[in-house]
Amino acid sequence: MDNENKKDDKSINKNDKSEETSYQANSEDNSLSNVQRVKVLSPGMLVIKRFLRNRLAIIGFIIILFMFIFSFIGGFFSPYDETQVFKHIGTMSKEYVSLSLNEQYRYTSSDENIYNSNMHSKFILAKNKGETNFILDDIKYHISEEGKDFYSIFCLEPIAKITYFRNILSVNLHEGIEMPEEINNYIKTAIEQGETYFKYNSKIYVLDKDGRNYILESTQNVAFESLLIMEKATKDIEVTYEFKYFLRKALMDDEVSIFEYNGERYELIRDEYSISVNHIKPDGKEPYALASEFSIKSISQDVFLSIEFKKELIKTIMSGASSFVYPDEHGEDIEYNILRNNNMYTVKKLTNTHLISIHEQPSLKHWLGTDQHGMDVLTRLMYGGKISLVIGFIVVFLETIIGVVMGGIAGYFGKLTDMVIMRIVDVFNCIPFMPLLIIIGSVMDALDIDPKIRIYYLMLILGVMSWPGIARMVRGQILSLREQEFMIAAEATGLRISRRIFKHLIPNVIPQLIVLATLGLGGIIIYESTLSFLGLGVKFPYASWGNIISGVSTAYEMTNFWFVWIPAGMLILLTVLGFNFVGDGLRDAFDPKMKR
Amino acid sequence: MIERASINDNSTNGEIGFDDEVLKVKNLKKYYPVTSNVFMKAKSYVKAVDDVSFSIKKGTTMGLVGESGCGKTTIGKTILRLTDKTDGQVVFQGIDIHELNRKDLRKMRPKIQIIFQDPYSSLSPRMPVGEIIGEAVKDNKLIPKEEFDEYISKVMIDCGLQPYHKSRYPHEFSGGQRQRICIARAIALNPDFIVCDEPVSALDVSVQAQIINLLMELQEKYDLTYLFISHDLSVVEHISDNVGVMYLGNLVEYSDKESIFSEPLHPYTKALFSAIPVSDPDVRNERIILEGNIPSPSNPPSGCKFHTRCRECMDICKTQIPEMLEVKKGHTVACHLYTGKSLKE
Repeated sequence: MDNENKKDDKSINKNDKSEETSYQANSEDNSLSNVQRVKVLSPGMLVIKRFLRNRLAIIGFIIILFMFIFSFIGGFFSPYDETQVFKHIGTMSKEYVSLSLNEQYRYTSSDENIYNSNMHSKFILAKNKGETNFILDDIKYHISEEGKDFYSIFCLEPIAKITYFRNILSVNLHEGIEMPEEINNYIKTAIEQGETYFKYNSKIYVLDKDGRNYILESTQNVAFESLLIMEKATKDIEVTYEFKYFLRKALMDDEVSIFEYNGERYELIRDEYSISVNHIKPDGKEPYALASEFSIKSISQDVFLSIEFKKELIKTIMSGASSFVYPDEHGEDIEYNILRNNNMYTVKKLTNTHLISIHEQPSLKHWLGTDQHGMDVLTRLMYGGKISLVIGFIVVFLETIIGVVMGGIAGYFGKLTDMVIMRIVDVFNCIPFMPLLIIIGSVMDALDIDPKIRIYYLMLILGVMSWPGIARMVRGQILSLREQEFMIAAEATGLRISRRIFKHLIPNVIPQLIVLATLGLGGIIIYESTLSFLGLGVKFPYASWGNIISGVSTAYEMTNFWFVWIPAGMLILLTVLGFNFVGDGLRDAFDPKMKR
Repeated sequence: MIERASINDNSTNGEIGFDDEVLKVKNLKKYYPVTSNVFMKAKSYVKAVDDVSFSIKKGTTMGLVGESGCGKTTIGKTILRLTDKTDGQVVFQGIDIHELNRKDLRKMRPKIQIIFQDPYSSLSPRMPVGEIIGEAVKDNKLIPKEEFDEYISKVMIDCGLQPYHKSRYPHEFSGGQRQRICIARAIALNPDFIVCDEPVSALDVSVQAQIINLLMELQEKYDLTYLFISHDLSVVEHISDNVGVMYLGNLVEYSDKESIFSEPLHPYTKALFSAIPVSDPDVRNERIILEGNIPSPSNPPSGCKFHTRCRECMDICKTQIPEMLEVKKGHTVACHLYTGKSLKE
């Protein structure tokens, strides 16, 4: 090959003496072996060489590399899942019992449906007015005061019409009702004595005066109203209405200490605030019921409170103490704390439960602690970085494609096409970016869009909104390149249009494009973080650096749980800084004026 | 099929007819519209080339000289159809280039090449030299694949480059070498006609000579025809066979080299040639200094366009446009001074 070249050189030299000197130099060049020749670098290699000389760019590149490894590979090494919630068993002060001093009448109904709160309120109204009757749904009810804070309610049913004139009594029974004759004597006695009711056969009958006549009404006990609350002592006991009624009656007399009901004997033990009822059985006593002016209810329905506990509780409250100790069923002493709110008392008890490990300090298990959902912060950072970076790349890819196509069309075809596209670009530049994103974010909130689909929408919106800058740059570049002489030369040599575009135009736009895209990446990551921070971008349960930071919203959390937000913030900062360093480095490297 | 444009052989005034002419430019006009807005119609036109006719014989070089802005480059580009004409004909080997459709035009492209003034901007910076030269050859399928490498090497050697330069990039070359690359790119397509658009004005004098000699050498070797556009008269004198002088879009004088350099007829040519520096310091030539600036081509003067700066301006010059007259054999001029001195009359 070399010999041939020399031959050719000589033939040229013969033809033209003026070029002799330069050709001699060339021949010498030619005789150099390949090793001795200066290594020839392509423009691309030169760019890489220049880039590698830029220390800041290398730092940026290393940062980005780290972020990639951290985000894309870190997830595989992390022993935890993105949304894994950590729990631990711990004691927690839980509400156990609520207690209030009863100042209102409570009713005890003989049958479940016969007496309800409507009647109860009618009763309160009638009692306050001093009336002894009230009517509800055309049924007459009678209030009979049996003692202090103890009223019986009777349902009245007319059974006969009575005329009593000059000691002559005539009783007209209503249809279907039969009565023994001897009741007439009772009626007569009652009328003569001016009583409004009388007892017959352990049943009360009421005489209601209706002008000159009387109406005889039979009564049925439906309920009693009392301030005293009576509760069963153990879980298994069934306390009947009748027992309660008898008990209440027995309690009216302070002297009574033993009463009989249904052939069984019951013992009443009074103390300061309550009365406990024991069932006297042949083999001993058994707690049966408790009556007090306190309403005691356990928060959890499956907990049954013993009489002793209740007594202890009442005693503590009345003595004004704020805590007491009472052994549980295993005999262990448990401390109960009492909180007062007006007439309501809440008793809290320390209980063992599964607790979500919220804001756990960094440890070997969780290197950066846990966040407000009890999830591992380091793992969330890995997955969040993945989402943030993927969003950044896809958005930049999208905006670059749209930008290159639009800018390329505008620049290559020019004239009206150019004007139309550039006006569209102007319009896009006029739209305030942030408010629009906030509005779209809240629209997506309102439409209840799935968090996963939301991420795609976010990419699409960011991509569609940010192409104009790239389109403008590409158009400018192509406009200037189109007039370059090498493009005209390419046209003159008869190259295909596609080749002219892809081999001559595009390679000359790519450097600026790479720089713009790299710098744009940082911007997009910031945008995504801002949106997620505002709760409009990537949504829980998906992690993104922005929404990890937004988990910290108060000054207390900010100062105490630094391990949640500082790492995420640092990652955003470093990534954006890295992309900017690399972008600046690429810009310098692509600048042909920068020789070395 | 390439359609053959009908050419009117009955030469009009001032046109010289050759049997073996490669290129014939007939009444070529190129007006650029002056618009301020896309939606508005052009109010006025910049008449860059206004009714120019000439023809070039095979294997010869025509030099085209004139002040900057007189339309030399526009003629060059219009001949290659890099810009569209406004009116007239460009007939290359009997085919009107401006009438071709795109496909036929692409086939025609390699036949006519152009070498630009600036060797820096006329080479794509992101392409190795071998690709720059061979790209169009490959794209137009001029050479079989097996011979391609060898062919490019041969062309490079012909143009004073070394084959190992193939893998280098333009930024590694000097201006003269770059111009050689440009020439190689043109030559590689095996053209018949090359427009040299001031190919040496960006180079220093020693390199200029090398490039000029290379061009002449290649002309001999490949039987090329040149249109050599330049404002450097000594270069034109060296390379040209015929010379055309342009002023404000018009061809004012056309002749063979000897005739025009020994006896320029048009006052503008005289003024132009008086500016050629003479190497003998004792010889003092009368220097004709033109007054005033070149008028705007969008609003050219009436009559003879040169009358505003002409020493020998007459009344007729201001109103009547002079026609090209053949004053001597093969020497035509457009000036009222020579009215009635035409050979034909």
